[in-house]
Amino acid sequence: MDARKASKKRKAVTRDVEEEAGVFSGDELSAENLDGTLSDNANDLSDSEDDDSEIELIDDFSDEDGDEEEEEELDSDEIPSDVDEEPKKPAVKEWKPEEPNVRIVKDANGNERYLYDEIHPDDNSDYSDIEENANTIGDIPLSFYDQYPHIGYDINGKKIMRPAKGEALDALLDSIEIPKGWTGLTDPSTGKPLNLSQQELELLKKVQMNEIPGEGYDQYEPLVEYFTSQQEIMPLSAAPEPKRRFVPSKHEQKRVMKLVKAIRDGRIQPWKAPEDREEVDENLINFDLWADEQERPDHIMHVPAPKLPPPGYEESYHPPPEYIPDSKERKAWEQADPEDREKEFLPNDFGSLRKVPGYENFVQEKFERCLDLYLAPRVRRSKLNIDPESLLPKLPSPEELKPFPTTCATVFRGHKGRVRSLNVDPTGIWLATGGDDGTVRVWEILTGRQLWSAKLSDEDAVNVVRWRPGKDAVVLAAACGDDIFLSVPPIADPEIEKASFEVLDAGWGYAASNPTPNNPEEKKSAPPTWIRPSSTLADVGVCAVIPLRYVPKSISWHRRGDYFVSVCSGASTPASVAISIHTLSKHLTQFPFRRRLKGGGPPSNRPLPPLQANPLLVKILQPGARWISSFDIHPTSSSASGGDNIIIGSYDRRLLWHDLDLSPRPYKTLRYHRKAIRAVKFHPGGRYPLFADASDDGSLQIFHGSVTGDMLSNASIVPLKVLKGHKVTAELGILDIDWHPREAWLVSAGADGTCRLWM
Amino acid sequence: MAKIKRKGTSGQAKNYITRTQAVRKLQISLPDFRRLCIFKGIYPREPRNKKKASKTATPNTTFYYTKDIQYLLHEPLLNKFRDQKALAKKIARSLGRGEVSDAARLEKNHAPKLTLDHVIKERYPTFIDALRDLDDALSLLFLFATLPSDKHVPPKTIALCQRLCHEFQHYLIVTNSLRKSFLSIKGIYYQATIQGQDIMWLVPYRFVQRVNGDVDYRIMATFVDFYTTLLGFVNFRLYSTIGIRYPPKFDTRSDENGAELAAFTLEGRNVGEKPKAIESSKTQANGSNKEVSKEVQAKVDKVIKSAGLDQANDEQPMDTTEESTDAIDRFEPAAPEADTLPQPDMSGNEAGSLFAPFVFYISREAPKAPLEFILRSFGCKRIGWDVVLGDGAFTNDETDPRITHQIVDRPQLPAESLPAIPAANDSVQKVKPGTRIPGRTYVQPQWVWDCVNDGKLIRADLYGPGATLPPHLSPWVKPSRGGYDPRATLAEQEEEGEAEVAEEAEESDEEMEDEAAVEEKPVEESEEESVDGGMDVAGTDDDESEEDESDEVDEALEGMDEDAASESEDDDEAVRTRHQRELEAEAAGLPFTSNGAADEAAKKKGSKTKKLAAKKQKEEEELERQKMMMSRKKRKLLEKMMHSNKKQSEEAAKLRSKRRKIENGAEKK
Repeated sequence: MDARKASKKRKAVTRDVEEEAGVFSGDELSAENLDGTLSDNANDLSDSEDDDSEIELIDDFSDEDGDEEEEEELDSDEIPSDVDEEPKKPAVKEWKPEEPNVRIVKDANGNERYLYDEIHPDDNSDYSDIEENANTIGDIPLSFYDQYPHIGYDINGKKIMRPAKGEALDALLDSIEIPKGWTGLTDPSTGKPLNLSQQELELLKKVQMNEIPGEGYDQYEPLVEYFTSQQEIMPLSAAPEPKRRFVPSKHEQKRVMKLVKAIRDGRIQPWKAPEDREEVDENLINFDLWADEQERPDHIMHVPAPKLPPPGYEESYHPPPEYIPDSKERKAWEQADPEDREKEFLPNDFGSLRKVPGYENFVQEKFERCLDLYLAPRVRRSKLNIDPESLLPKLPSPEELKPFPTTCATVFRGHKGRVRSLNVDPTGIWLATGGDDGTVRVWEILTGRQLWSAKLSDEDAVNVVRWRPGKDAVVLAAACGDDIFLSVPPIADPEIEKASFEVLDAGWGYAASNPTPNNPEEKKSAPPTWIRPSSTLADVGVCAVIPLRYVPKSISWHRRGDYFVSVCSGASTPASVAISIHTLSKHLTQFPFRRRLKGGGPPSNRPLPPLQANPLLVKILQPGARWISSFDIHPTSSSASGGDNIIIGSYDRRLLWHDLDLSPRPYKTLRYHRKAIRAVKFHPGGRYPLFADASDDGSLQIFHGSVTGDMLSNASIVPLKVLKGHKVTAELGILDIDWHPREAWLVSAGADGTCRLWM
Repeated sequence: MAKIKRKGTSGQAKNYITRTQAVRKLQISLPDFRRLCIFKGIYPREPRNKKKASKTATPNTTFYYTKDIQYLLHEPLLNKFRDQKALAKKIARSLGRGEVSDAARLEKNHAPKLTLDHVIKERYPTFIDALRDLDDALSLLFLFATLPSDKHVPPKTIALCQRLCHEFQHYLIVTNSLRKSFLSIKGIYYQATIQGQDIMWLVPYRFVQRVNGDVDYRIMATFVDFYTTLLGFVNFRLYSTIGIRYPPKFDTRSDENGAELAAFTLEGRNVGEKPKAIESSKTQANGSNKEVSKEVQAKVDKVIKSAGLDQANDEQPMDTTEESTDAIDRFEPAAPEADTLPQPDMSGNEAGSLFAPFVFYISREAPKAPLEFILRSFGCKRIGWDVVLGDGAFTNDETDPRITHQIVDRPQLPAESLPAIPAANDSVQKVKPGTRIPGRTYVQPQWVWDCVNDGKLIRADLYGPGATLPPHLSPWVKPSRGGYDPRATLAEQEEEGEAEVAEEAEESDEEMEDEAAVEEKPVEESEEESVDGGMDVAGTDDDESEEDESDEVDEALEGMDEDAASESEDDDEAVRTRHQRELEAEAAGLPFTSNGAADEAAKKKGSKTKKLAAKKQKEEEELERQKMMMSRKKRKLLEKMMHSNKKQSEEAAKLRSKRRKIENGAEKK
């Protein structure tokens, strides 16, 4: 203890000296030497001296192993690192607390001055690891001091000089052996080489070996037996041994005898190791489950799981080359999300079987199939596996539907202004037209040559022209203004022309013989008398004029050719005179209806079945159209072969097909026109099941409307053709159409002043 | 007044039950419910109106039929699940107490055994029903037979799967019921017909299967449980119908040696009957060909001769197929537009005799298991393979003279690049790889599959080692209208005028390119080009024509014309000749009109396309006309169908155009 104290004391002294001398300590170079090196050139350092000191040092270390006491001394003086010193210091302080830490010195004035020791914080202090001569420059790089001989300041404000460096030092270091504890690292706080002491090295080693670093901890301390396992010699209880310890137990004997008896009886078998039951047996099937199978129909609601579709060509390991995706498709596939991909794999050509790799998503796919089997709701979806063609209505092919008008064959030019009406004569050779210019013209259909023309009026337009049916005579009725003109155009051969004149002239006498009653109140509504035309008109072939007092808008002949009916559909026309029936052979005009037709509204231009003896209202249709422009009755109507079919064209762009047998409402409503429909017409005679409509949009539409005899099948309507050619003038397109009586030819009268033949 | 009906008391609200409700009703856990559903084949339903069926607004609700769940209430498995749950609790308790042996005992002796017999009988009341549903079972079991064992998949299950699959394969071999097979990217598809039921399954290639994290093995294991039971019963029934004892004898030792199929020995059920063992000559396997007696040799020679198997031509028709007269004759339609009536596929007899007369040898690199299975099920009795491929071969000796066909799958390498064989001390003669033994046909594995799918032996020379194989086509794709059929030629299935349009488009493209190229070419180069072109041209002396004057030009032009006509397909050539003519015309001082003939042709083509376009338009018009007559509902339906058809035809057109490009490319070369 004394020795230690002494050494401590000495150490304290040395420390003070050291402080004065400089901060350098712990190095093998002594402070004096260092001072020298710093003041002089570093190169001046004598190598030999250093060598000596080094050798000494090593000797010291070798001694150190044996002698602990010596180590203390060496420590203080010559152990190379200062770091090493500091853990000792607090310990030293601990042991001499009674020593005054004050020295009394005389200052310049001769007064006492107390010089205190450096304060060394004790072990518990946070600052324990701060050296007193640590560099205090703070957290700045050392390079700031590159220009100066010092590298910072210690806690006392003294310069810390730069340690020796340079070639000489390098040479020195090369020459000397690397000291123990030399790390080659620089202590960042001091800027000096960082050396480790033996103890520190050992500490590090312990940490590396995962041992407990603290010293003095013994992991394998001997066990202290607090509660001894030795049996005590003396008993704790002094009770005497009970008797039952010496007497055999009856009860136990009874039980043993029971067991013995059981063994003898074979009730208890000697223990045997339980044999392993064959596990395979339970998986082995040894009976036919379907030995007595009975068919049971599936439950209605049961939906069996759909089978996976068989693989296609593209799934082949060596598909035809066209199935290999090109780079674009490949890229698209790779970029798509796995859910969005149409196929879960990319077709690939491996060439030969050995090159085929394993399919990486196999397990995944099977797993997904399992999920589908038990997790996916099954819905029976009737997949439409029919040919879409079969859905299309069974239309007769266009070839079967032929002939129908397709092209414009002839254009009849000559009318100035609109052509209001046209009519093809019953023989099918001539075409009569009447227009806004007040002329009636007759054309040859095939050539388009104008054969005859008559100017009926200068100011009024010709509203209707109609040929008399029958081939025995050529009589043309034309309504112009308030009058109806009956004429015989000089176009036929003379015999027929003569016959025609006879037909027209036969009635003159009859009218004269039956004078009209002179009843004044009936006068107003008295039927008009037929008059002869003016000479100019008579010259061109007009034979008779019927002056109606109102404008007739339509004329329609009885099929025998003796009667025709005219309708004056103007709003101002009294109901009683709106419809008049004219008898050709008697030159007689009658007004059959006294009242308005039931149903109201202005009398439309419906041609009634002429001269019904007792006019009856047969049916009321509800076409649903607001303004009916025209209608036509199917030629087979009221005959055995078909029901009653009527087509109606309306200004609200609809074409309505009425099957009177079905309902009063339209069977079909067709809206293919963009403008009002002016005229509709069935092909007469029923030879071709065609009908056409004409519209203000300048187009004609041809339909195939076949009516079958049996009541079960409805009429089938097939749109055939849209014919365009007429120009739309003043928002009017085609005003009238008519079919050729024998051929599937159509004639149309346009607002542009032309007529066209379509064939 | 009528009683007011309360909402949710009848109809859909009553008929459907959500999954949570079902689980609650059955009083089991969700995983148990899942297992029960898998076993019993109960699947969710989609109610017509979800709003009416569900009482909550949760969008992704799974619905079950209430009746289905009610019927599960009486399931004996439900009690088993409860027992299992109770046992699990007991085990957990004893483990918690540290009584490990107790837990082990409980687990060993008290685990309730699930028997699925009644479930199978219930789900498949007849055997045919079971066969009908075998597709998924086989696919999954064949997959599990190749999987490594796992925590969820014990090795016992894997072994069971393997055994069942092999037994099933044996049945197919014995009855020759395999019909078709297909090598796909994913694996090998097989199709068998058993009692009139087509069963198709997929077997993966033998590689380690990659497993993603999102595969739940517990679910698959449940399926495997069910399917193993099912396939076991099916196998029993199948074996008993053909009079073979079930289970077949299983040789563990040979199985360990990789014998696979050959590890099983089928026996008749009658006592006196000789075992119907697979012809696996183990004694011969190791013997050299010295042991082969002359008699056998003669026999084999005869077989080879009868089969007409020379290496040069082996496409001779087989005798056996001709002999069978009671078979159905094949009706081939004489005209293409006629309907074809379906005829049954080849019968078992036919299938059984396809490879019957041959002896196959499977080389080391070829996949033994599928080849052995497919060869055996198509009648081949004698198959040899390399020793490394496992036990049970007819012969392991490659030099065996009885072998008629050898299946190889290695590229043709030059002889010197092959390693020398190590000096063989054994009696077994080794064959240097790449050498061919005369008297046998070498084919790639695809030959076997193509033969099987065609139902007849096809030319083997196309399938020689190293040869570029013809494409392998799926036997299940039926040529459909508007679909693309790679078997037919391009001309057969092209739409009218499609080729011309395509050609034209291509040409116009090319012309554009050519023009661009011509413009780009510098003058000096063009002269060289012209010389080159002239050298290729036959019958023209263009050197003279270049030097001489206009006299020659006409001649040259004529020659050129011929030439151009003859080699019109060669585009490069055409460009060169045209260019040359241009130059010549220039030299002669004539105005060059760029190829009048070509112009005319182009015009012609143009008119053709126009005609086609007009026709197409007409057709469209016609369709529009027809559509006008339909009701809106029908029209929508039609449009939907047309859409799908259009998709198909577009796909077909794409394939056709690809093929056209490929073919054109091949022609050019």
